[in-house]
Amino acid sequence: MEKYQLTLLLVMASLLSGQVYGRSEGGLITGLEAEKKMTKKWTVGMEADMRTRNDFKTMDRWSVGLYADYKCLKWVKASAGYVLLDNHFSEKREDYISAASNAKIKWRPSYWGFRHRFHASFTLSHKFSNNIRLSLRERWQYTYRPLATPERYKLDVAAQTMKLDGNYVRGAKGKNQLRSRFQIEYDRKRSRFTPYVNMELYNSWQTEKIRYNAGTDVKIGRHHVLTLFYRLQDIRQADDDDVPDMHYAGVTYKFKF
Amino acid sequence: MKKTILRLLSLFFAVTLFPSCENDDSSFSNYALVTDSSDDDDDDVPWDTIYIVYDGTVATVANDIHGYVTASGAHVTVSATQSTSGMLLVLSGSTPDGSLTVFRSRKYSILLNDVSITNGSGPAINNQCTKSLIVCCTPGTASVLADGATYAQRDYDQKATLFSEGQLYFRGTGTLTVHANSRNAIASDDYITFDDSTHVDIVVSPTGTNGLKANDGVFIHDGTLFIDVASPGGRGIRSEARTLISGGTVTVNTTGDCKIETVDGVADTSSAACIKSDSLFSMTGGVLTLTSSGDGGKGIRCQENIEISGGVLVAKTTGENNNSKPKALKSDTGIIIRGGSLTATVRKSWACDNGSESEDPRDHITVSGTPALSTITKKSVIISFD
Repeated sequence: MEKYQLTLLLVMASLLSGQVYGRSEGGLITGLEAEKKMTKKWTVGMEADMRTRNDFKTMDRWSVGLYADYKCLKWVKASAGYVLLDNHFSEKREDYISAASNAKIKWRPSYWGFRHRFHASFTLSHKFSNNIRLSLRERWQYTYRPLATPERYKLDVAAQTMKLDGNYVRGAKGKNQLRSRFQIEYDRKRSRFTPYVNMELYNSWQTEKIRYNAGTDVKIGRHHVLTLFYRLQDIRQADDDDVPDMHYAGVTYKFKF
Repeated sequence: MKKTILRLLSLFFAVTLFPSCENDDSSFSNYALVTDSSDDDDDDVPWDTIYIVYDGTVATVANDIHGYVTASGAHVTVSATQSTSGMLLVLSGSTPDGSLTVFRSRKYSILLNDVSITNGSGPAINNQCTKSLIVCCTPGTASVLADGATYAQRDYDQKATLFSEGQLYFRGTGTLTVHANSRNAIASDDYITFDDSTHVDIVVSPTGTNGLKANDGVFIHDGTLFIDVASPGGRGIRSEARTLISGGTVTVNTTGDCKIETVDGVADTSSAACIKSDSLFSMTGGVLTLTSSGDGGKGIRCQENIEISGGVLVAKTTGENNNSKPKALKSDTGIIIRGGSLTATVRKSWACDNGSESEDPRDHITVSGTPALSTITKKSVIISFD
C-alpha cells in the first residue's frame, strides 16, 4: 500500500511542479459534512465549508449546501445539489489616466455578498483488482450572483482625495460551468487511508481554471472520515484579471450516519 | 484514538479561524474623503484614447475609431472639433521632422511617453483648443520637443515649440525637455500651471525668445524647472498677468544681453530677465534661483508688486549696465517681504529697486515683521525669516 501511496504522491508532485507562473497566494479550506444513506441507492447529505486567501490571513468565503446522490449502476452515480455561498469578494481597482488628471483610480473595496449555486453531476468509476479506482466526474453548475450595491470610490492621485460613487451598482450575473474531474485513488478495503490525486477542469466555453488535488481520506471508525489534501488552483482565464493562483491546504470532516 | 483525533480537529477548526480576519484591500488611508459634487467627473464620459507612434519620418496612428487623425509623413493633425467625448493622445517614438497639431473644442490630455519630436518648420506640439490641455509626462520617461529656426506660414498661431491656445497643465513625474530655436519654448494664450512633480528642462537658444510665456498667468505649485535662456532680451518666465510660486524648485539662467529694436526710428531696448511679470509676482513657497549674466539682465522684472511670504529666493545678476541696469529685483510699485528668505545680489546697479528715487537701499524694500537676518545694501540684500 505504501508503495502505491508514494507513487501517487510522486505523480502528483510532478504534475504540480511548474504549474504556477503568475501571482499566487496560500489559503486554507476547512469543511464539515454529514451524510445519510437512505436506501441502497440513495444518499443525502449536507456540507459546509470555509476558505481563506491572502496567505491564510483573509476570510474568502463560507458556504452551506445540500445534496443527494443516486447510484444508477455499480459504476455510475448521479448527484444534484444546492450551495449557498457567502463570498468575500476581493477589492477591484482600476488605474487609469484621465483627461482631467494624470492618474486616477476606481476602487471598489472588498465586500461580502451571497451567491447561489445549483449543480448536477454524473460520476463514472471503476475499481481494478489492484485496488486502484479511476473515476471521471462531469458536473454542470450554475452560479447566480444577485445585484449588489457595494461601495466604490473614485480616487484622484494628484489631489489625494477619494469620492464615493453613489451610483455604482454591481449587476446580477449568472454563469454556467462544466467541471470535469479525473481521479485516481488507492482504495483498499479495511485500510484506514485512501490516498488520491485528481485534476479538475473548469470550462465555460474556455478553460477557466484547473485544480490539482492530492490527499487522503482517513477513516476513523465507521462514522468518521477525515480528509487531508493539498490543492493547487491554476487560474487560466478569470473574469477578473486580479484573481491569483492558489495553494490550498485542506481538511474536511465527514460524519456518516 | 478516535476522540483524540476529533478533539484535535475541533481545535484545528477553531484556531484556523482566528488569524483569518485581516483585510487584503489596498490602503488609501492617506486619501481625504471628499463629497464635493462639483468635482470633475469627466472620467465618466466616454474616452477616445488615440496612440500616435513617431518613427523617423512617418507616424503610425492606432485606435483612431472616429477618424480624427490625419498624418502627412510624421506631421500629425487631430481634428476633433465636433467630439463630445474625452480624448487622450498617447505620444511615443521619435521623429526628426514631425509635429502634432490639434483642433478641438473640449479639454483633453496628451500623454508624453518617451517621445521625441523635432519640427524644423514650426511647433512640435500646437494645441489650437482654447480649453484646458493637460500634458502628462509618464513617470520614468524622458520626452524631448524642439522647433526649427524658422516657422512656415500658417493661418493659426504658432508661438512656441509647445504652444496652447488654452490653459496648460503639466502633470506626471516624467521629464520633458523643450528646445526653443525660434520662438518661445512653452507658451499659452491662457495660463500655465505646474502642480505635479513634473521635471521640465527648457533650453532657449540665442535665436529663440522666452522659456515660458503665458498671457494670463504662470502658477508653479510643484515640480522642477530648469530654464536656460541665451537669447538677447529673452525671459525665462514671461507672464503678462500674475506670477505665483508656491512650491517646487525653479532655476532660471539668462545669458543674453539687451535686445535693441528700432521702431519708427525710435530705439527700443528690452533687457533679459529671469522672470518678467506684468502683474503681481508672489512667492509663498518653493525654491527659486535666478541668475542673469547678460548686459542689463534682471532677476525679476515686475510692473506691480513683488511679494515674498515664503520659500527661498536667490536672485543674482552679473551683467554690465551698458544699455540697461542689471537689477536682481525690479518692481514699479513695491518689493515686500513678509516671510521666507531673499538673497539678492548684483555686480552693478541695485539689488532691489522698487522705483523709489531714494538713495537709501532700505527705502527700496519693505520688510514686514522681524526677520532673523536682515542685511540691506545697494548691491546686496539678504533677508531671512527662517
